[in-house]
Amino acid sequence: MNIDEVKERAGPREFNPGDDLPEEYRKAATRMIQFHANSEIMGAYLERPFIRQSPSIDRKLAFSAKVQDEIGHGQFLYRAAESLGIKTREEMLDELANGKGKFLNCFHYPMENWAEIPMIAFFVDGAAMRRQATLKRTSWEPYAHAMDKICFEEGFHVKHGESIMRELATGSKKEQEMLQDAFDEWWPRIIQFFGPSDDKSTHHDFAAEVGLKTMTNDELRNAFLNQYLPKARKYNLEIPDEPRIRENDDGTFEIEEDDLDWDEFFTIAKNDYEPGVGQIEGRANAQEAVEWVRDAIEGDDQPTAGHTPTAAD
Amino acid sequence: MIWEVFRQKKTGEYHTHCGNVHAPDREMAKLFAQIQHGRRKPTNSLWVVPQEEVGEVDAEETSFGGTTDKSYRWSTAYNIEPPAKEVEESANEQAEAERQRGDS
Ligand SMILES: [Fe+2]
Ligand SMILES: [Fe+2]
Repeated sequence: MNIDEVKERAGPREFNPGDDLPEEYRKAATRMIQFHANSEIMGAYLERPFIRQSPSIDRKLAFSAKVQDEIGHGQFLYRAAESLGIKTREEMLDELANGKGKFLNCFHYPMENWAEIPMIAFFVDGAAMRRQATLKRTSWEPYAHAMDKICFEEGFHVKHGESIMRELATGSKKEQEMLQDAFDEWWPRIIQFFGPSDDKSTHHDFAAEVGLKTMTNDELRNAFLNQYLPKARKYNLEIPDEPRIRENDDGTFEIEEDDLDWDEFFTIAKNDYEPGVGQIEGRANAQEAVEWVRDAIEGDDQPTAGHTPTAAD
Repeated sequence: MIWEVFRQKKTGEYHTHCGNVHAPDREMAKLFAQIQHGRRKPTNSLWVVPQEEVGEVDAEETSFGGTTDKSYRWSTAYNIEPPAKEVEESANEQAEAERQRGDS
């Protein structure tokens, strides 16, 4: 298939590993899915220390289940990316460890206290869920299938995240203040989750033409604000003055782009932002520490029943 | 030799198990699968897999979902009005799965 045929056929779940697809499509899809997979992993690592800090046994159980789910999401997505034939899972994990692999802006920031948890577990998971729901209609079938399973699990994450937020918002004065502080700090980053507005985004056009993406950054950000601004208000969170947000009559929003720190955003996008660099190294160390487990499982000298497993097994 | 057959109805859907065929090799298995399983039911693609290559673990051997109460893992455990349509859909899928598993 050449690229024009791909564009012509592009539609929900249209292409699978049995199709002969041009490298341009396979590379673009790999870049997108690898980014998504990396983000699941880095998000899990950011949240993991808070399993211990959970304020009750119920929260601890639920939060550790949530973090475990995110690692699983990473696994589904590396499989979906691997099936494009450009990179192996091992290569992608190595790229994540050596700082070449890119991931979501929000997971480059440090997290210090429990009151910040709803920022990730409610707002960022909610934003991710918004985006992922549209990716059920992506053109790479294995990616769409991964989305079916991921979206099935995410409902629990978002509702649990909101439950934590409600607890803090209706808690002591101190808890309410900590929640508001966390919100002030995270709100601009959450808005930036969807990236720069459409006219500044670089990869959108091609990804949309070949059906990988089904909605633009602006459409997704609008849909998110429509649902999540009222939620923030419901818990008496004061929306920070900046970035300025204009609410249009047709239910869409306009963000004053200049109120957001795009230098920081693009520094992060290059993996050059200091706290993020530490988080990449932290995960790299964890990967190295369990190298012996992978070797024991995958080692060539291990007796295997029947045939030799391949890297993908 | 027995080959298990998986049918996909439409592009993008899942291949689901629909039966098996006798065939001496993969080519014949594909042919018989077409005749026996792809003719009248809507079919976009078929997979054939040697039966002996299929590994199975069943509910007698293991307890799927674990043996302890994991209700905290389900969105139904949280008395929260879902913030958005897609979250509500996910929560409904979970409620349905929980109901089918029969442990609610
Ligand atoms: Fe996830
Ligand atoms: Fe999640």
